[in-house]
Amino acid sequence: MANGKLFGTNYSPPDLVAKMTGKAKYAEDFRAEGMLMAKLLMSPMPHARVRNIDTRAAEAMEGVHAILTADDLPETDNLVGSDRALTMEPMYQGEPILAVAAVDEQTAANAIEAIRVDYEPLPFVINPLDSLRPGGPNARVGGNTVKDRKDVVEIKWTAQDFAEAGEEMPMGQPEEEFELGDIAKGFEEADLVLDETLYHQSQSHHPLESRSCMAYWQNDKLYIHVSTQSAQRTAPGVARQVGIDPTQVVLIAEYCGGGFGSKIGGTVNMAIAALLSKKAGRPVMHRVTRSEENAYGRARPGFQGRIKVGFKADGRITAFDMYLIQDNGAYGRSGDFTSASRCVSLNYTPLNMRFRGISILTNTPTRAAQRAPGGVQITAMVEPVIDKAAKELNLDRIEIRKINAPDNDTVYGSNQHNVTSAYVRETLDKAAEMVNWEEFKQQSGRTNGSKVTGVGVALSSYVAGSRGFDGLMVIKPDGNLYVHQGIGNLGTHSTFDTARVACDLLDIPWENTVVVWGNTGKHLPHSSVQAGSQTTHAHTRANLAAATALKKNLQEIAAKELGGSPDSYDVSGGRVHRKGNRASGMTLAHAAERAIELGAKYDGHEVAEDINEWTKTAAAGLAGQGAMGAAKDNYGGEGDLWSFVVGVAKVEVDRETGAVAIQHYTAVCDTGSVMNPRGLKAQILGGSVQGFGLARSQKWVYDPKWGVPFTQRLYNAKPPSILDVPLEMEGAAIEIPDPQNPLGAKGIGEAPFGAGVAAVLCAIQDAIGEFDLKRSPMMTDLIINQLENQAQPYKVLETDV
Amino acid sequence: MNIFQWEQNPWGQDILVRISWDLLWLAIIGGAAFVIGHFIYRAKNPPQAAEPATGSAADAVPEKVVRHSLVARLFHWTMAITMFTLLITAFFPIVGIQFEWLKIHWIAGLVLAGIIVFHIIHATFWMSLRDIWISSKDWAEFKLEVAHVLGTGKAPPKPGKYPVDHRIYHNLVTLAGVGVIASGLLMMVRIDTPLFARNPYLLSESTWGWVYVLHGLSSVGLVGLIMSHVYFAILPEKRWMTISMIAGWVTKKDFLANHDPERWVVTEKASK
Amino acid sequence: MAVIRDTIPAFELFQPTSLEDALALKRRYGKASWAYAGGLDSLDWFKDRIKRPDAVIDLSGVAELRGIRDVDDGVEIGAMSTLTDVETHAGIQSDFGLLSDAASKVATPQIRNQGTLGGNVSQDTRCSYYRGGWPCYRAGGNICYADTPTSINREHALFEADRCVAVNPSDTAPALIALDAKFVIQGTGGEKVVDAEDYFITPSTDITRMTILEPGDILTSIRIPGTWKGAQFYFEKVRDRQAWDFALVSVSSAMKISGGKIEDIRIVMNAVGPRPLRLHDVERQLKGQSATEDVGAAAGELATLGNRPLQHNAYKIPLMRNLVKRAIRGLEV
Repeated sequence: MANGKLFGTNYSPPDLVAKMTGKAKYAEDFRAEGMLMAKLLMSPMPHARVRNIDTRAAEAMEGVHAILTADDLPETDNLVGSDRALTMEPMYQGEPILAVAAVDEQTAANAIEAIRVDYEPLPFVINPLDSLRPGGPNARVGGNTVKDRKDVVEIKWTAQDFAEAGEEMPMGQPEEEFELGDIAKGFEEADLVLDETLYHQSQSHHPLESRSCMAYWQNDKLYIHVSTQSAQRTAPGVARQVGIDPTQVVLIAEYCGGGFGSKIGGTVNMAIAALLSKKAGRPVMHRVTRSEENAYGRARPGFQGRIKVGFKADGRITAFDMYLIQDNGAYGRSGDFTSASRCVSLNYTPLNMRFRGISILTNTPTRAAQRAPGGVQITAMVEPVIDKAAKELNLDRIEIRKINAPDNDTVYGSNQHNVTSAYVRETLDKAAEMVNWEEFKQQSGRTNGSKVTGVGVALSSYVAGSRGFDGLMVIKPDGNLYVHQGIGNLGTHSTFDTARVACDLLDIPWENTVVVWGNTGKHLPHSSVQAGSQTTHAHTRANLAAATALKKNLQEIAAKELGGSPDSYDVSGGRVHRKGNRASGMTLAHAAERAIELGAKYDGHEVAEDINEWTKTAAAGLAGQGAMGAAKDNYGGEGDLWSFVVGVAKVEVDRETGAVAIQHYTAVCDTGSVMNPRGLKAQILGGSVQGFGLARSQKWVYDPKWGVPFTQRLYNAKPPSILDVPLEMEGAAIEIPDPQNPLGAKGIGEAPFGAGVAAVLCAIQDAIGEFDLKRSPMMTDLIINQLENQAQPYKVLETDV
Repeated sequence: MNIFQWEQNPWGQDILVRISWDLLWLAIIGGAAFVIGHFIYRAKNPPQAAEPATGSAADAVPEKVVRHSLVARLFHWTMAITMFTLLITAFFPIVGIQFEWLKIHWIAGLVLAGIIVFHIIHATFWMSLRDIWISSKDWAEFKLEVAHVLGTGKAPPKPGKYPVDHRIYHNLVTLAGVGVIASGLLMMVRIDTPLFARNPYLLSESTWGWVYVLHGLSSVGLVGLIMSHVYFAILPEKRWMTISMIAGWVTKKDFLANHDPERWVVTEKASK
Repeated sequence: MAVIRDTIPAFELFQPTSLEDALALKRRYGKASWAYAGGLDSLDWFKDRIKRPDAVIDLSGVAELRGIRDVDDGVEIGAMSTLTDVETHAGIQSDFGLLSDAASKVATPQIRNQGTLGGNVSQDTRCSYYRGGWPCYRAGGNICYADTPTSINREHALFEADRCVAVNPSDTAPALIALDAKFVIQGTGGEKVVDAEDYFITPSTDITRMTILEPGDILTSIRIPGTWKGAQFYFEKVRDRQAWDFALVSVSSAMKISGGKIEDIRIVMNAVGPRPLRLHDVERQLKGQSATEDVGAAAGELATLGNRPLQHNAYKIPLMRNLVKRAIRGLEV
């Protein structure tokens, strides 16, 4: 199928002009008559109990219409683990306590200043290790970790655990643990053993669009404009948060200015606008500012880690022993640290492996998946260690990765799963070829005045797809194909890319295709969440299934009208016709009319039993409008979907100023067949740039005494600017189809990020010539201290400094 | 007018920061009111030369009586200089005259603390503590004096070395001085000096608040006290005392006019 | 009173069209007034509801405050000239390239289009604690949250700290000091012209202000005399990222070479103290010497004498040393 006309070609997605001209309406751009504006009162303390709230003065103010507190939220299950829109026990500075709806934001803000909240400060903790110390503070009243996703329990390590560790990371009782093979034996067989204590920072998601939300009610139906990654899959979340049935929700989310995992199923604050609107009886807009976005938005959990790796002289990893302490924030339980173990198992296929991990609650913003959750952190932590080994063993840095690389036969992780495909050696080779590696690596250590060059290479992997979702499409009597997409429009183009699969199968020109998306009132099928790089894989398949069903319907319609067997008909050139004879057949417009006349499965009045209830509802809404294709992806498959990226970076470090200039970056990926070359490049290079930020300038800073952050504005959070991005950036794919997707495509959103961080860290380390920083980001101050042999202001394991 | 200055700490809690500088104006107005009040009273009731003391004890008084030893005088004037330095460096910036005050202020504060320690030692071992002590009898005399000033009683007996009002003043200054020095020394931990490792978190926020309040109250108290002290020092009828703080001695005439030689026994020897 | 940020409270906005009117407004409202230039510092304060002036006086309509004029041998730059104006002005580029270089390193093109020279030199410090609205010395309290045993003070001062350890963040201020610029101030006392160096104050003088500007004053223009016209200039700003970032340390220098020797030099560091730090001792030492690597290295050592690092900012010492070296060496041709 990868030889379709549209698949694999560049095009302008239908939302492009609106985005470029500013006509695209994001949640914050909507207005409704009588709309009120909401403002939140946020906790000034990192952990406190609200004893009393006095809103009398605020309520007496002119223009104040409603005040919402945690008491107004519907009860939901699992309150122990997850956060809600408002709380009476804030667990991080900036957690919302209450919301005010007023005629304008100024009035709402004035009202908030008139509210008195009586807090009882509670113990708090920012660094997980502080919480693990005997007698250390707990982030929550009941303890410092969440067990079984519901109970808060306390885990303390012993004084001995800490004493034995010395300057390295202590390793007390873990929460999660598995061993593959015999780790002790693995180390015995090793010629080189490295044991490193490392740190990777926590980081906010920084989507350009904040999680603003506007809501109003009409006849018990909630209309809500949100910023969400997924469209169809967000509606049930809204319903749950607001305490209504999903059928009462009309969710509008045509555009999303980035989420990076922080808005997978919408956002926790969606309930605020919805419930305030209900209480006030008027539409309510809740605009979220940048600093608020970084408070009650989401974040990637940081890791403190101890990585012990045994290598044979040829570079083969005989033993990989990893212990991760995950900075979990106060709510839920992130899976990053266990994902990290999977990435290690897959990327390096160690002959023996042990993973131990613990996820500790801290009084910092709520964590969530962030673009390659766990993968980015562990790649950034481990890849410099691999480089160190290569240096000590005098091995080429691409070779040491190749000797440990997975392939299609690899099984990995604690449950020893297969992968659908892994062409990692091919990817490494292509990267080497693209940068001319043999020459490229000669630049390492070259000086130019005070500047010294470093080169780095990094391998990053992450999951790349899922299966079993539904496709839904209709050819209407206007002759156009309407592809209904339940996935969100996150900016990755997959909403449109995956629709083009149907065009190829049905031979319908893109101009005659309408993608329907971003509004659950428009009958959207059950879809994967727009996360984890699932949609490319999941919805090429789902749309292929639906298009195939539609084609079959068209063939049957033609056979019914013109005789012969359905198999003797083909669909092409805007017609369904006898094979080999275009003239003998009918237009798709005509076929659509016939489908309506025929009813039943032809126009969607009957649908396959195995499709999701949500899709059935959507199909029912569309029934009778034309020839329908509705089907579930039943292509099946075995093994997990993973894609891989190799990043190659060249940096120049000024030994006098610590300034780092990234001069070149190449990313090569194994993502199966390429659906949209331009979109692919945007994904892999964009993800890399995000990585440069974590490598160089982005971190959280907390005052440890007060537990208050200082990095919630873009200017002090320091995501990379365009001047921090090299002029030379290349991106490519090896374009080997994934054998299990009929279309050969895999997702590629996640893996580029980790390669971007790690390749730059490796290159900086290469330029400095020492492996001493052991933490990200490698910022100017740390580099200068390192180069000047000056003590670092903090130890490796300190967090958020 | 506010008595205290409150701020919101990083957690939004109200914290006591210091006294309100409104109190400085209150102290100045209070000091000025006392001075003006006294001056008016004095104009209406001009001071009369007192009858000199007589008797054998009086006869034994030498021509020059040492009232303040050199050490005591040096102490007094050093203290005066440091006090003025402290008050100027403290309050001029508050009233809007900006200059680099802090270093001078804490150095002067240390000097003051040092000489006061010296004074305590010196006074304890080389001077008579009883001279400055206020006993119940003194209070009775003080009441008599107040009554006399108000025109309702006879003049109280002549005092010994230090009249009781002087002793009350001294003790008020002692109180304010101890308050301001003790709090000031602690406050040096909040700033960067070579003496202490800076640690604003040494005490709790509220304790610090009271330390600053103590420093503020003591210092504005000193403003009022010093205003009245200077006022009396320049009054003509008190000039003999002011001069004695420079020269060290008083004439026999001034001595007998103002002191009871029975209560302050001075011999040639003792006066050397 | 609960704290809320990110929403500008109401104030009275004045948009005078003459300097006279602007000064009258400043006189009328005194401490409750706020001179608004480009707004990049001001709006930050307003939206966080930390600085809450009653009267905001928008100076953008005052024509007298705009424009770059040739005066005698130098230039006079209206305080409301944008940083882009300064950066792209041909005369400044050719004669006083140090200033255009410094201006070009400020933040981003968008900010330079809006930000003014007067605003850039008069801007408040960026100490996170102070900008967070904490009741520190600079905010009228009696504590420095940035200098405690647990503070995070990576961006803070090495020199001239007094209770407050915040630094001056301006890029153009040190360049103007190096160029011996004169700042023209109109205020209650009429016109005052001060050396650029004397425009900036340390917390020991007034802990709540960065400059000598009194509530009734407006900085109207900056005059650069011909003294350093065409001298050899060096500007370098080290920062975490290459746009929209304040200096970790910056160096600005102007040097005249004659007969292979340094005849005269002015060298100023910023982001190391509460005001731009002119290195008088270094200047004295360098006069008569050759501008070589060794001389630069010695100058760098001298420059950092007397530094008092905090927990997290000791990296500024070698950085400063190296920047001084580069300033001297960079002029070697």
